Amino acid sequence: MTMKRLVWWAALAVMAPAAYADMEDTPSPEQIKRGAALYAQHCAACHGPRMADPEGAFDLRKFPPDQRSRFINSVTNGKNSMPPWGGLFKREEIDSLWAYVVAGEKK
Amino acid sequence: MKRLALAIAAVCLAVPAAHAQTQAELNDDHKSPENVLTYGMGYSQQRYSTLKDINRSSVKRLKPVWATALSSNYGEQGQPLVYNGVMYVANAEHTIAIDIETGRQLWRTPVEFDPQVGRVICCGFSNKGPAIYNGKVFRGTLDAHVVALDAKTGKQVWKQKVAEWKEGFSITSAPLVANGVLITGMSGAEFGVRGFLDAYDPDTGKHLWRRYTIPAPGEPGSETWPKDDSWKRGGGSTWITGSYDPELDLVYWGIGNAGPWNPGGRPGDNLYTASVIALKPKTGEVAWHYQLVPNEMFDLDATWEWILGDLTINGQKRKTVMHMSRGGFLYVLDRTNGKLLAAEPFEKVNWATHVDMKTGRPVESDVSRRVRAGEEVELWPGQWGAKNWAHAAFNPDTGLLYANTMHQARMVKFVPVEYKVGQRYVGLENSPWKERPKDLPIGHVEAIDPMTGKPKWRAPIMDIPHYSAVLATAGGLLFTGKETGEFLAIDAETGKTLWQFQTSSGINAQPITYTHKGRQYVSIQVGLGGVNVARMGPQLANVPRGGSVWTFALD
Repeated sequence: MTMKRLVWWAALAVMAPAAYADMEDTPSPEQIKRGAALYAQHCAACHGPRMADPEGAFDLRKFPPDQRSRFINSVTNGKNSMPPWGGLFKREEIDSLWAYVVAGEKK
Repeated sequence: MKRLALAIAAVCLAVPAAHAQTQAELNDDHKSPENVLTYGMGYSQQRYSTLKDINRSSVKRLKPVWATALSSNYGEQGQPLVYNGVMYVANAEHTIAIDIETGRQLWRTPVEFDPQVGRVICCGFSNKGPAIYNGKVFRGTLDAHVVALDAKTGKQVWKQKVAEWKEGFSITSAPLVANGVLITGMSGAEFGVRGFLDAYDPDTGKHLWRRYTIPAPGEPGSETWPKDDSWKRGGGSTWITGSYDPELDLVYWGIGNAGPWNPGGRPGDNLYTASVIALKPKTGEVAWHYQLVPNEMFDLDATWEWILGDLTINGQKRKTVMHMSRGGFLYVLDRTNGKLLAAEPFEKVNWATHVDMKTGRPVESDVSRRVRAGEEVELWPGQWGAKNWAHAAFNPDTGLLYANTMHQARMVKFVPVEYKVGQRYVGLENSPWKERPKDLPIGHVEAIDPMTGKPKWRAPIMDIPHYSAVLATAGGLLFTGKETGEFLAIDAETGKTLWQFQTSSGINAQPITYTHKGRQYVSIQVGLGGVNVARMGPQLANVPRGGSVWTFALD
């Protein structure tokens, strides 16, 4: 395999999971409920109760619903004043948080 | 000629001591203007200086002489120390020594910590400052260690693990050295910890004693907790440095909120949360205690400055200790025995009608009853407090306290919460005050009579909460800073701002003043950070981050 082709395959291998991750599975009501509970305990202090009145923190009601991998990345690794949560949350917990952020308080 | 005499005196005082700060020097810190060896500019934490060269008339000539970067964007909350022409500064990421004459960094020692520790830090990556003793500089770390560095070189001499951060512990406070013992507080009452104070031998790091602030079953005060596990996660953090009376040999340390904030699962007074304890530094033995708020539920920390001062009360001179509490009452106690002398409100309070002077207990109002019953209430002062940690100053000549206070309410409501190790354990929802008038300033600076709680004057400073300490001087000035970066000199008689200078970032730290070669300087750490950044983002969005120390002198 040429270097150029190797690089191309490597790029595809890196991008593909990210592209897959942005594809939306329909979250279940249980997942949203789990996400709401995790949010209330860990995130509400800065992002506001039920995502209302975030004041200085990022307003999650405005998070683009098609940027799931951005959300996963920021929560896992931290961003700006937000610490990394990857050491505490399992992947499915972050998925539940995402489900809640996208679907949660729209009713 | 006077300047020359002062310079000669300063050199004579400085040279014999070389690099070894003794306990005697620490005891006299409030009297020696060329050094700042203690948190609060003296063990009484009066934050008061007798220096007068910078005064009401001369302050218009106050100019920056140097500004030195502190290699961190997390924010600056600290108070620098000064010894022998060297300034020692701490932030979350570094301990730094700076030459006072030139502002040049002499050494910088990084703090190693796992960035994941952020998930157990409630209120910003910060550090309130170092301690200094016998040739070493001491500081706490976010991952709950205490480190001792050689003051000359910055090299580590010893490091002790105080607690496991993954269980919710951290340290942001400055340590205290009293009677030859190094004492550190800790944080974590939002994360289900059991609070304590820890003491170490400053020369070796050997652990000397631990005083838990929450009693275990059978220990004095344990009858104020239910007969289950709630004492193990009862809070009672100790996140601001205590004060010390060398004559009485008593350390006064304020103790924080109970955990979780939702009180439903912990009926009882919950000693020693929201209390002050007076203890012997060599042994940790408690001489007396006073609980400000039994079974507290609004994060009513009693942690910040307990100011020692002598007041004339009913014609008699009394040794007192004073505290402007989060819940809005100004406590004055006899510091020899803990007797309550005054507890007047200094701000609007609606969770209690008053403090009963016979029992020392606040009398809960209908607002408290409704929130205990599960309703959402408009709480005065808001959960952030009538005052927060931004330290007040006390002028022993005027007998007045000078403080940054906050006038605001919050909407609060309890929700259920379950304990999990190292995870947030609060159970309170907290939203902005719905009906706040648009032009009502929140942040004020005021001169307050400690016995009455009434202001002599009160000046609005910011329309948001602010977190800079106040420094008072015999030159008739107060120094403090704004979150938008203005460093202010205020007339202590009237509250009028006489001078200000726009520094490089926001100010949420602690000014000091001192002399070097006979010249008076004022220094302040600058760098927007702390919990206010998350709270007040829109108003502070245009304030650049970046830590530095600014030093000013007369032109």
